Amino acid sequence: MSKILEQLATAIIEGDIDNTPKLVQKALDEGLEPLTILNDGMVMGMNEVGRRFKAGDMFVPEVLMSAEAMQAGLKVLRPLLVASGAKLLGKVIMATVQGDLHDIGKNLVGMMCEGAGFEVIDLGFDVPAERIVQAVKEHKPDIVGLSALLTTTMRQMAYTIKALEEAGLRDKVKVMVGGAPVDEEFAKKIGADGYGSNAAAGAELAKKLVGAA
Amino acid sequence: MEVHKVNYEVNATPTLQILTEDEIEAIYFSSLRVLEETGVRCYNPEGVDILHAHGAHVEDKNLVKVPSWMVERARSTLPKKVTIVGMPDKDGKRKYRMDLVKNSAYWGTGSDTPYTIDPFTLQRRRSTYQDVKNLAIIAEALPNIDFFMSLGITQDTAVGTYDRWQYLAMLEGTNKPINITAVDVEGLRDQLEMAYIRLGGKEEWKKAPAFSLYIEPVSPLSHDPIVIGKLLFCCDNDIPFVYTPCPQAGATAPCTLAGLLVQALSESLFGIVLSQLRKPGAQVIIGGLLSQMDMQTTVMAYGSPEMALLSAAYTDITKWLMVPMYNTSGCSDAKVFDEQAAMEATLNTFIAGLIGGNMIHDVGYIESGLTSSPDMLVATDEIIGMVKRFLQGIPVTRETIPLETIDQVGPGGHYLGTDHTLRHFKTEFWKPTLMDRLDWDRWVKAGSKPMRERVHQRVLEILQAEREPLFDEKMYKELRRICELADERHKGEEMGIGIV
Ligand code: B12
Repeated sequence: MSKILEQLATAIIEGDIDNTPKLVQKALDEGLEPLTILNDGMVMGMNEVGRRFKAGDMFVPEVLMSAEAMQAGLKVLRPLLVASGAKLLGKVIMATVQGDLHDIGKNLVGMMCEGAGFEVIDLGFDVPAERIVQAVKEHKPDIVGLSALLTTTMRQMAYTIKALEEAGLRDKVKVMVGGAPVDEEFAKKIGADGYGSNAAAGAELAKKLVGAA
Repeated sequence: MEVHKVNYEVNATPTLQILTEDEIEAIYFSSLRVLEETGVRCYNPEGVDILHAHGAHVEDKNLVKVPSWMVERARSTLPKKVTIVGMPDKDGKRKYRMDLVKNSAYWGTGSDTPYTIDPFTLQRRRSTYQDVKNLAIIAEALPNIDFFMSLGITQDTAVGTYDRWQYLAMLEGTNKPINITAVDVEGLRDQLEMAYIRLGGKEEWKKAPAFSLYIEPVSPLSHDPIVIGKLLFCCDNDIPFVYTPCPQAGATAPCTLAGLLVQALSESLFGIVLSQLRKPGAQVIIGGLLSQMDMQTTVMAYGSPEMALLSAAYTDITKWLMVPMYNTSGCSDAKVFDEQAAMEATLNTFIAGLIGGNMIHDVGYIESGLTSSPDMLVATDEIIGMVKRFLQGIPVTRETIPLETIDQVGPGGHYLGTDHTLRHFKTEFWKPTLMDRLDWDRWVKAGSKPMRERVHQRVLEILQAEREPLFDEKMYKELRRICELADERHKGEEMGIGIV
């Protein structure tokens, strides 16, 4: 691994938001391919972050800083990757469903997905199915992530999936669901594509759903 | 040393204090600044109008900035004591009573867990109507549980109107005061109607409310339209309400505990101001589930020492403010009722008792508030018993320093047969009901049962005991009718997606 890529990985691990884009630029100036910079520098760093988080050597705030650094680097890289025709991880729309005000879990899943390299659009909380359908039409995401923390709002997930079907959009997006009272069984029952019990699992699942893991 | 007759200071109970008055003031005045300068979001237009009409500044439609003098004025009409009295027994007497006032401790359960531990199979599964009723029956039987919250969500009833069914299940199980949840104002109105029926009329409610409502601001610094609607309904209908946030240090509140206290207090003070504007004298209880987000797992910690510490510190603040406190104990992050559950419940229950109350909820919670456990409930009742004994302290009087008896017994004698021992042994010592103090042989003969088994046995004994229904069939039908009418009105909204 070249020195610059190593530095880039370290910057990501350290959550260095200022330096990461600069290092990306430097790597480009050195003539490295955008995809190499992404995969052999930034993603390497993020993988290490994931490993340390699992092992209990890194904690949520640090992981989120790394995710931000990742996004800061991607800002420079993304247009070049798109131009080169490289396949990006894609877009995730996150929303806490209608009637539900619990949003911190949803925020965490979104941030972890950003860390994995997704572009994330956050619709907030108490989001009606209709608005989610609208946003899917507008942003054409690869994944819709729905969060519900109440047994009374879980059914809104089913309703949202139905609304996506009715709008003819269901086969254009993958739907993943989560939140404390939600489980695998319920996810299957309502026809979601996947369930994740925590933010890290959510990001893993998202990668799997787009065929990247 | 003999007891002096003059200038004699007693410590009638042990004391615990986390914050000094100066520290409390620093937190309080910081909260005032947050309310005045940062402001809070209030998404209920009626609420915003009331606040605006009485002097609050409103920016950007719903960003409300509350000047300090409004808080000070609201405090002048805020009740220092809230009394909630349970439902009548067969003899018409309402015997369970809570006077929520500075330094009085009452314990009760937590509400609305999606899961419960089945008392017969010990499997974790989604909770039902029967579970809520069973857990209420257990709470009714436990001497140290003073109020009930639905330890489980009824998930085998209609989803959108579950709250009425849940209230019915609780009423079937217990006459103790209840802290309810409601899906919306209509759900609250229905449950109030049920309470009137159960009490035998609105007049009885006027004498003393039989339930309080549990509502919450959304941390950080936001107030939901439906929640504010419920708050206003409570003010209009003499329903005491708990207005407490669930801030998580580091996630939905500042990472430092003092910072969290400031934010939580701002959130509750906002509820106090609005309620006192709506109706001077409206009965409010503040406090909360104050804890941190575990930075490894992202779980909101229910069993952490910080949770106990924050709740105790906040109690110091509520004592200074003279407003009843909603405290938290008897809960854990453990997945089953195990050693961790017992350790965490012991710590937080002890601290909640020592600091002085008032309405201490969440007894029976495991898995960070996601699962209710009958075993945890029964075990914590025993913990509370120990804590209550501790809180009685050591009275130091002529009677408790029996110099004459000491003199009589003298060196080398014993106290077993003395009058003094006879007079005191029944009241001086706490009597365990679950803790084991047998000698080895007798313990083996009794089946070598560890604590866990003894606790569970008690659960089964309570559930299998013969019991009379708390009210007759006619009353049951009238109450049930309210639930059915609600189902009927909301039939179209069920979406056909049951959970259980
Ligand atoms: C904090 C909290 C609140 C706060 C939320 C503030 C905020 N900004 O989010 C407030 C005070 C607003 C609140 C309100 C209420 N709450 Co609440 N709340 C909680 C509490 C204590 C913690 C939730 C939390 O933040 N956890 C930490 C986060 C990080 O975890 P998380 O949300 O579970 O998310 C993780 C995973 O689930 C997963 N995940 C989440 N979403 C998604 C999505 C996808 C796609 C994936 C893959 C993964 C995923 O990843 C996340 C990160 O690891 C829970 C108890 C609990 N242990 O869950 C109760 C709880 C969820 N609330 C409950 C209740 C009853 C209520 C109220 C009805 C109370 C009332 N009487 O008013 C109201 C409802 C308001 C409404 N309409 O939504 C009940 C649920 C009951 C039910 N019907 O199912 C619970 C279980 C507590 C209880 N036993 O009473 N609450």
